[in-house]
Amino acid sequence: MLPLLTNKRWLKVTAFKPHNNRAWLGVLPVFLIVGFSAVIPLMTVVNYSVQDILDFNSRFFVGFQWYRDTLNDARFVDAFIRQIGFSATVLAVEIPLGIAVAKGISKTSRMTPIVLVLLALPLLIPWNVVGTIWLMFARPDIGLLGVLINAAGFSYNYTADPLHAWLTLVAMDVWHWTSLVALLSFAGLTSIPAPYYQAAELDGARAWQVFRYVELPRLRGVLVIAVLLRLMDSFMIYTEPFVLTGGGPGNSTTFLTQYLATMAVGQFDLGPAAAFSVLYFLFILLFCWLFYTMVMRNDER
Amino acid sequence: MLEVVDVDLKGAEPAGEGFAHTFLPGEITVVLGANQSGKTDLCRLIAGLNTRATGRVWLDRQEISQLDSRRRSVSMVYQAFINYPNLTVAQNIGSPLRAQGIELPAREARVADIAERLSIQDYLGRFPHELSGGQQQRVAIARALAKQARVLLLDEPLVNLDFKLREALEVELRDLLHASNTVVVYTSSDPRDAFSLGDQLLLLDGGKKLQSGKPIDVYRQPVDARAMGLLADPCINELKHEAREGALRPEHVFFADDLALRGRSCIAFELTVIACETNGDESFVHGEVAGAQWVMRCDGIRRPRLGSRVSVKALEQDVIWF
Amino acid sequence: MAKIALDKVSFTYPSADKATLANLSLQIAQGESHALLGASGAGKTTLLNVLSGLLQPSSGQIFFDDIEVSQLSGRQRQVAQVFQFPVLYESLNVADNLAFPLRVQKLTKSKVNARVDYICGELGLDAVRQAKPKSLSLFEKQLVAVGKALVRPDVSLVLLDEPLTAVEPKIKWRLRQTLRKVQAEFGVTMIYVTHDQTEALTFADRVSVLTADGIVQTDTPQAVYQSPAHEFVGHFVGSPGMNFVPADVLSIPGAQRVGFRSEWASLVTRAPLMGVIKRQRVQGTRKGKVYGLVTVQTAFGPIYVRGDLADGGADAALGTAVGVQVDRYVAFANQQKVAESDRL
Repeated sequence: MLPLLTNKRWLKVTAFKPHNNRAWLGVLPVFLIVGFSAVIPLMTVVNYSVQDILDFNSRFFVGFQWYRDTLNDARFVDAFIRQIGFSATVLAVEIPLGIAVAKGISKTSRMTPIVLVLLALPLLIPWNVVGTIWLMFARPDIGLLGVLINAAGFSYNYTADPLHAWLTLVAMDVWHWTSLVALLSFAGLTSIPAPYYQAAELDGARAWQVFRYVELPRLRGVLVIAVLLRLMDSFMIYTEPFVLTGGGPGNSTTFLTQYLATMAVGQFDLGPAAAFSVLYFLFILLFCWLFYTMVMRNDER
Repeated sequence: MLEVVDVDLKGAEPAGEGFAHTFLPGEITVVLGANQSGKTDLCRLIAGLNTRATGRVWLDRQEISQLDSRRRSVSMVYQAFINYPNLTVAQNIGSPLRAQGIELPAREARVADIAERLSIQDYLGRFPHELSGGQQQRVAIARALAKQARVLLLDEPLVNLDFKLREALEVELRDLLHASNTVVVYTSSDPRDAFSLGDQLLLLDGGKKLQSGKPIDVYRQPVDARAMGLLADPCINELKHEAREGALRPEHVFFADDLALRGRSCIAFELTVIACETNGDESFVHGEVAGAQWVMRCDGIRRPRLGSRVSVKALEQDVIWF
Repeated sequence: MAKIALDKVSFTYPSADKATLANLSLQIAQGESHALLGASGAGKTTLLNVLSGLLQPSSGQIFFDDIEVSQLSGRQRQVAQVFQFPVLYESLNVADNLAFPLRVQKLTKSKVNARVDYICGELGLDAVRQAKPKSLSLFEKQLVAVGKALVRPDVSLVLLDEPLTAVEPKIKWRLRQTLRKVQAEFGVTMIYVTHDQTEALTFADRVSVLTADGIVQTDTPQAVYQSPAHEFVGHFVGSPGMNFVPADVLSIPGAQRVGFRSEWASLVTRAPLMGVIKRQRVQGTRKGKVYGLVTVQTAFGPIYVRGDLADGGADAALGTAVGVQVDRYVAFANQQKVAESDRL
């Protein structure tokens, strides 16, 4: 019954030397994979972002020119603000809604596994299919949702009204991703030992106090993960708005990825697009880092 | 015979500073130490498992330090009840035999024999999760015995069991282990195990060897207060007398009216009672003597009033001076 | 603070075909500290849950101060509980944890503070009032959990479910003493559930020994140890448990079996009960002599005798024929106590 790892010879040697660097060899494959999958492509982009490349033989070093241009580009700034607005909105809806859904699932019912599978269904649908579903679902002329809203007396047309387009996008994202938050929260809730609930009940705690003082503190870990995942994902959203609104009407739903795609694929401005990409990447990193340190510092206190 | 040489259980000392110890076959050596004293590391070092401990291991005059753990003639029982969950009890016990390439009829005979010795013969067809904790640990011990290794390591095997189960298993274990000509290393943090199981005793403290010998000799002549404390239940009573420092075991403090003390040279103390504990056959009276925390262990149920001052005595010969 | 009465309480789990608790009756006085002692599988946890209102008895009644509470929730019964491991509100500091059950009752701020101060003082928690549970040791956390159970002035019953499981062995006695002290001072009714005899006998005014067949004895710790009403009690309490031999071996009429504790017997050269020394287990020295537990192999199985060891515990004594003289005994018929000898 010996653990598998101990059979490796190089681990054995550690038993006789206090310090041994051979263990680093074990991590080498990871470095290689990360190098190929992330660092090398990223460096290519960085390379493009500081040069003006016309063809293979004529390239000029331009320094931070592309970066300055990008940051001064009004359309970039607009898309950026829209992006933040979108991410903030979906987070503000999905996190509480996900927790609420998780709380609504019985932990002991025989139906629970079925409910969980049903919940997970939207997560299994390919992004562009989600876009297509909503494209048809929300159409004011033939889509079920669009027709119903109009029949209820609201004039609704997401292809013409920027606000409607926005709401539809948010609704789509919520429909697509709330289950993820709900599943994570449900896992968090089921890991709370029964005595905690029992003690709170004997203390006379009301439902919201049980939530606030028993459940929420113990959901922290999974919620941090949920927020990080949703933050990154929503910040990089591309396929669904591309299919649903194409960034319109006007530029009202043009988010960063969409603008980037226009720049790189549509106009073939590789230099600015590369600078854009690097900035984009840094912003996501920055947000995640900010959020994470905020949470951790709070934890320290 | 198992020898360990230049052992450093914390892996912190330079080579050459470690301790050595010899374990004899047919004897149970109880390794006694507090948590984090390196008991588990010692077992893992002998078994060839990954550990921070460093040192060399010799078995029957052959060095096995470099040998793969699977090729050492060593088996180990852990604190947690570790069995293969998807194998029946019989398959669990037979697994080391199968690994040794022993054919089925012989294997079954041996499994049946070992199972009977550990009184689990009725559960051979069950799975580990269908057994109680005590039975699960019996299966783990049976599997370790089945391997018929020259060294058997038991790392606090009874610590997670109910107290009544423990009592029963302890008695059985001793007979079982003595019947084989194996080197048995049994780690524990409970001083009672030293006497009830140990032919030999090895005291560990902070990754170092503190003392070794027959339990009663270590009990009578501890090298220092730590060694004395390790073999005291629950702890020792420290005292200062004419600039000398010494200590008394809890069972060596008596109420002053104890008749058997008459006519023998005693030291008297005043003890302020702060707590009384009892398990029926013994009572532990916790108190304060000259600012130090003391415990006395006495027969039967004794409950002096809390806060009262009582006269207590100890035989001069029982005081151990350091 | 209430007196508790159980009248023929039974409980059967919905899927089980056998009752986990059958016809349990028990009276606990107001302000009593009572221990429920039993092996695992005896239904301790079920009984605890029936008392705390988590489970409702299948039949029978529970009374708190002569008021029937069988169907009431634990909250309505005003029960508090301390669990095996410390259960605290992790986001609140110690003082807020203690104040929580009071704030829920909407007591005034000054009353809450006064009560929290009092509890902190009694339990020696003043130094850690502002600390979060995460930064406390298991011992301190469990102390806070005890404080939380005692903080409500109107608490009727405090249930303790093996509260020392997670605490380090060497300091268990401190928590046990603190519990005993506050129990006496506050005069609360406490029920302590455990499989550990030291905890039960030390903590309780009275002990109930629980088996799968119900409560076999309820009495003072002294009586439970020295005068067990049932063979199981003699076996389960004490380390080692009682020795049992057929009654006719000792010529005791009107009984089937006789039980005696290891310290109630001594080794002599000739006695009706003969055997050979099988093992001598050293426990230490006392008054200069090696003492411990002698196992004598007899026709009725091993008999344990406590006292000074032959030959200082050396192996030379093994195999010697000896007689076991029984100085004191309890006699049983059909596992029930029928007689006991006077104290000698």
